[in-house]
Amino acid sequence: MIPLVLYVLLASAMFAIGLYGLLTQRNGIKLMMCVEILLNSAIINLVAFSAYLPNVNGQVFALFAIALAAAEAGIGFAIMIALYRLYGTIELDNINALRW
Amino acid sequence: MTLGFGDYLSLLGGESLLTGLVMVMVLLGLYLKNKNIQGYLALAGLAVALILTIGADRTMGPIFFGTMEVDPLSQFFKLVFISVSLIVVLAGLSRYKDSPSQDEFYILLLLATIGMMVVASSIDILTLWVGFELASLSTYAMAAFDKEKKNLEAAMKYFIFGATSSAAMLFGFSLLYGLTGTTKIAEIAAASIETMGPATLVALIFVVAGFGFKMALVPFHMWAPDTYEGAPTVVTAFLAAGSKKMGFVAAFKVILIALMALRLEWFMAFAVLVAITMTLGNVVAIWQKSVKRMLAYSSVAYAGYIAIAFVVVGAANNGGFDIAVAQGGLAASLMLILGHAFSKTGAFIAVAVVGYMALREGKDNPDDIEHYAGLGRRAPITAFCMLVFIFSLSGIPPTAGFIGKLLVWGSTIDSGLIWLGVLFALNSALSLYYYLRVIMYMYMKEPAGAKIIEPRGYVAAMVVALVAVFYIGLFPQAFVDFAYSAAAVLLH
Repeated sequence: MIPLVLYVLLASAMFAIGLYGLLTQRNGIKLMMCVEILLNSAIINLVAFSAYLPNVNGQVFALFAIALAAAEAGIGFAIMIALYRLYGTIELDNINALRW
Repeated sequence: MTLGFGDYLSLLGGESLLTGLVMVMVLLGLYLKNKNIQGYLALAGLAVALILTIGADRTMGPIFFGTMEVDPLSQFFKLVFISVSLIVVLAGLSRYKDSPSQDEFYILLLLATIGMMVVASSIDILTLWVGFELASLSTYAMAAFDKEKKNLEAAMKYFIFGATSSAAMLFGFSLLYGLTGTTKIAEIAAASIETMGPATLVALIFVVAGFGFKMALVPFHMWAPDTYEGAPTVVTAFLAAGSKKMGFVAAFKVILIALMALRLEWFMAFAVLVAITMTLGNVVAIWQKSVKRMLAYSSVAYAGYIAIAFVVVGAANNGGFDIAVAQGGLAASLMLILGHAFSKTGAFIAVAVVGYMALREGKDNPDDIEHYAGLGRRAPITAFCMLVFIFSLSGIPPTAGFIGKLLVWGSTIDSGLIWLGVLFALNSALSLYYYLRVIMYMYMKEPAGAKIIEPRGYVAAMVVALVAVFYIGLFPQAFVDFAYSAAAVLLH
């Protein structure tokens, strides 16, 4: 059996990658992908803990998280499409009228 | 004791009613030609939900297999959420009159309210997260509602920050679950005392970051001014007064309980955060030309004032637990939340009236302070309401804001944090500067245009908020008692 610590390491690495992407990328779609990586890292954690505890709560939590991640992506893409129609781009550096 | 369907319905009457209403409204929206009736439906639903929420039995204990609870704390916050939502619907009756997509506005507003009510009631991190997401997803869409350039930019920033914060929160929750093997908040707190280690701290930092975004505490506040400025003004009112308070109820439930269990000297870290948050919010607000953005920064400052409760509870917990001081601190910040909810909603709706007036005259920056010149003569009701809301926000009696600020100030002194009390008083004085500037423009400058007819929905919304602000300010005793019993729930 694969030790639990490897799963947690994988999840932490994914979280770090997602956070790095959020801080460095400026394209709307890439940012959304990074958010998905963050959510999925948490889901891996939940399922791994659930299998090792053993306790089914984590898997239920993971199912809810998957469903909500899909809803979140839906809203996000809707906003991005509306942005693209108005600005003609989703490079977020070009969309910056609100400041200080 | 097993509860029947009827018991659940009476305990969660408000939520059930609003959920049913949302489904009816979605269907009606498909068939109705004239959708103006939808706003009145939402209004009626919220009014009935308010009564049901007040009437719910608060002594039943945990329900739904220990995932939700109806107690004074949850009902206190539900009353705040429903009232704010009610005021925003009233304003929406004017703002979105005859708009073809107005039913979506009310549906999203009601869904966000339901999400917040679920958060207020949940005692399990799973229900809490689901409620949190329901409210967040609805408000992302609301922020983009008018589909203008500013709205979309605001919504995009809100979405990116919000999604990141909810992912961080979920990651923190997953670690807490892994460490303790349960999703119930009380059991997590009990189990973390035994397994306390660096991992628990890491998990809590993720959770604090997640809630910090919603509460707009420094350093997680960057999205707040942009989103508040860019979103449609009635939506901003809802975000500042409703969505932010949801962050606080969640933080009270999770962070406070977990941190109290850990008995660390964590409160100094929070004290520094609080001090920076309120000072930064007030200092930056001074420079703003746009009244909407100024109110947004004052909202950041208010997040700092409300979060003083964390510091007070931490100080009371330091070496022997002084429950009276902790309860006083929590009740004080609940009163501040109540006062801020009504005053901020009202103030943003007054901004909406001025924006509506400026847009009709074809001006570019509808929120610029120049448009407030002579508002006392151009729109007397709006100007007077704005005056009262500004008095309440700056803590001048006899308003709701005064009661809250007085109690918070007292609680910092009780807990021995004199420096924080002094800083709080200084910050309140600093905020007077930019608040009084608006009043000066409204009453001492020459009017910039003719008298206008104030839209009826906006006026109704402002009058409701005005009555609430005065009522709480003049007869605070019942509300303070309610806040104390709500605080007792967290400290039992």
